[in-house]
Amino acid sequence: MTILDVQNIEKHFGETKVLQDISFTLEEGQALAIIGSSGSGKTTLLRCLNFLERPDQGRILVRGETLFDAADPATQREDQVRRKRLHFGLVFQSFNLFPQYTALENVTLAKELLAQESPDYKADKKRIHEEIRAEGRALLAEMGLQDRMDHYPHQLSGGQQQRVAIARALALKPDILCFDEPTSALDPELTGEVLRVIRGLAEQHTTMVIVTHEMAFARDVADQVVFMDGGTIVEQGSPDQVISHPREERTRQFLSRYFQG
Amino acid sequence: MRKRYRLPALLLALSLSVSLAACSSGTPSGSTAPAETGAESDLAYVQDKGTLVVGITNFAPMDYKEEGSDEWVGFDADMARAFAESLGVEVEFSEITWDYKVMELDAKSVDVLWNGMTLTDEVKSSMDTSVPYCTNYQVLVYPKDRAADFEGLTSLEGLTVAVESGSAGEDAAEALGATTVPLQAQSNTLMEVSAGTSDAAVIDVLMAAATIGDGTSYADLAYSLDLNEMQGLEPEEYGVGFRKGSDLVDVFNEFWSGAVADGTVEETAAAYGLQDAVILE
Amino acid sequence: MFFTSQEFQTVAAALNSGFLKTLQIFFITLIGALPLGLVISFGSMSRFAPLRWLTRMVVWAVRGTPLVLQIIALYYVPGMKDLFTWPSGETGRMTAVCVAFVINYACYFSEIYRAGIQGVPVGQQEAGLVLGMTRRQIFFKVTLLQMVKRIVPPMSNEIITLVKDTSLARVIALQEVIWMGESFMKGNQGYSGLVWPLFFTAVYYLVFTGVVTVLLDRLEKKLGYFR
Repeated sequence: MTILDVQNIEKHFGETKVLQDISFTLEEGQALAIIGSSGSGKTTLLRCLNFLERPDQGRILVRGETLFDAADPATQREDQVRRKRLHFGLVFQSFNLFPQYTALENVTLAKELLAQESPDYKADKKRIHEEIRAEGRALLAEMGLQDRMDHYPHQLSGGQQQRVAIARALALKPDILCFDEPTSALDPELTGEVLRVIRGLAEQHTTMVIVTHEMAFARDVADQVVFMDGGTIVEQGSPDQVISHPREERTRQFLSRYFQG
Repeated sequence: MRKRYRLPALLLALSLSVSLAACSSGTPSGSTAPAETGAESDLAYVQDKGTLVVGITNFAPMDYKEEGSDEWVGFDADMARAFAESLGVEVEFSEITWDYKVMELDAKSVDVLWNGMTLTDEVKSSMDTSVPYCTNYQVLVYPKDRAADFEGLTSLEGLTVAVESGSAGEDAAEALGATTVPLQAQSNTLMEVSAGTSDAAVIDVLMAAATIGDGTSYADLAYSLDLNEMQGLEPEEYGVGFRKGSDLVDVFNEFWSGAVADGTVEETAAAYGLQDAVILE
Repeated sequence: MFFTSQEFQTVAAALNSGFLKTLQIFFITLIGALPLGLVISFGSMSRFAPLRWLTRMVVWAVRGTPLVLQIIALYYVPGMKDLFTWPSGETGRMTAVCVAFVINYACYFSEIYRAGIQGVPVGQQEAGLVLGMTRRQIFFKVTLLQMVKRIVPPMSNEIITLVKDTSLARVIALQEVIWMGESFMKGNQGYSGLVWPLFFTAVYYLVFTGVVTVLLDRLEKKLGYFR
């Protein structure tokens, strides 16, 4: 079933058109990789999905529900945007962990704040709190961080920090988990542990949108690949088609530059 | 951050506009006339609030505190207390920075200035004053061990002389050709001399008599020279200062002549060693 | 023995009473200026341009003129212009001094806050947003503590300066510790021409700034658990 439907997204920064006529769909349980050179608009697209940027044109639908329509101001009300964001999770290139909280607290903070809004919170405070913490511990254990729960971010390696960030995004059980170049800020020897985690998520059929420079990884993990250049989608299809047998000249040029070095 | 700043921003705008309003009204608006009490009676104002606030400095033997006591005494303090009583109000002594005495009056932080105040032309032009009640003159203070250099001088040219800013002593020192160092209080001028940062100082003889010589920290200082005589001037006179246009002046003068007549003034003056200085006519 | 002499006892009692007022100014200023400074910093970062400009103008005016002048103006001008009169005596002087200090220090603090808030990486806020946190939650749960950590060192400097700036209050005859020290030069409670009390006030300042420094260092260390 189609979980994400992006239609004709357009975004300007002043005079510059950063995104133009972006459309794609994503099936539930599949992973979409977005590739392309820096400045091609990949990150802006991801930020649009997470409501960190507001597109000037187009619509975004999740499970058939219109979350955003540039032509309909009713879909852009500040108070609703917050809830809509929860359909998406985002893992940042630079982790953006909260430095004053431990790994576990980073994972549980947002969930605890959300729980406070539920009507039965007051009566059941203690139990809810314990449940959230247990879930957080389980998630961190899944990330291979069972002995790092009470460490502060600065006490963790880059790879460990990014794995905490992934657990933090998963804690809210988003429909679609987005990654913005999750390994770009890491030393080469630390990328493996993060990619392994993402690969594991793909095997569990987590719906994901991954902006990445790791071509081999994209080819192995993604069900679908989008190649962007100059703010437009140049080519999309299966990894085999886009990465191994590109039809478009621009895709070929990008990939050849990439694989040469 | 759009939404969150709105409320604090509003509060801020409010408090700022209030404080701005207060500031803008402080800029001179053409008229430089000191605050007039106008049609309103100053007497009524003082009686209404029930206290007479007397602006003073710590200045023996006019207004001062005895050792271990928190009560203001002195010739001026005692008479002020009597005056307040005659008005049927409480007396409240408020120490002020002497440089700002006119502002203190105009801002109504004090109601009268009563602190051995010399009636200079400046004082008389910036406030209304009572009849003179005491005489005083300025003296030169210098290190005791250099007394020979100072005794018998007829001019202060070439000397660096510490004075209280805005005092009669400053006028005298300037008139006699000294290079003056204006300071915040008469007391500070003595420190200058003691520290050698000024050659000499000019202060009231009443103060000099009380603070210089054996038994004080200024045992190494001495004073002589009647600077008023040197300039061929009359001795100075002390008076009480009121807001311009205040009806308290007449009330005071009447009170004072009564107090002279019944001997209160003479008796009080004698208690503080001022029997020679006080004016009894 | 000097310290048991009557002179020392009298002077120390007077200096103590003056120092009590110094402390009063210090703490009232902190309690008032710390939150007011935050409000002003929001004004100076407001997206509403007129408010931003107005706030920055006021901050400039307050930081660009001597505190002494502000104290004098605030105490005398209202009465001279018949706007209002401060309560009579010590109370009025203390109130005016505290108002002047709170406004002045709030403006200095606001600039420190602004640097502190703007110094927290924007990614922190975005991370909060994508986790569905409200702006309020992000400020109090995420940004605030990081900001506090950033502002403690510059704030410490300002606070130490405040300890010493309290002595400016004596310009309108508020009898803080330096005023009391000076009083024994011109004569107070039977002593006159005493110079040492003025210099002795340094002991009070040194002890107090020492305590404040230790406390602020401790706070800085306490916030050292994260980076």
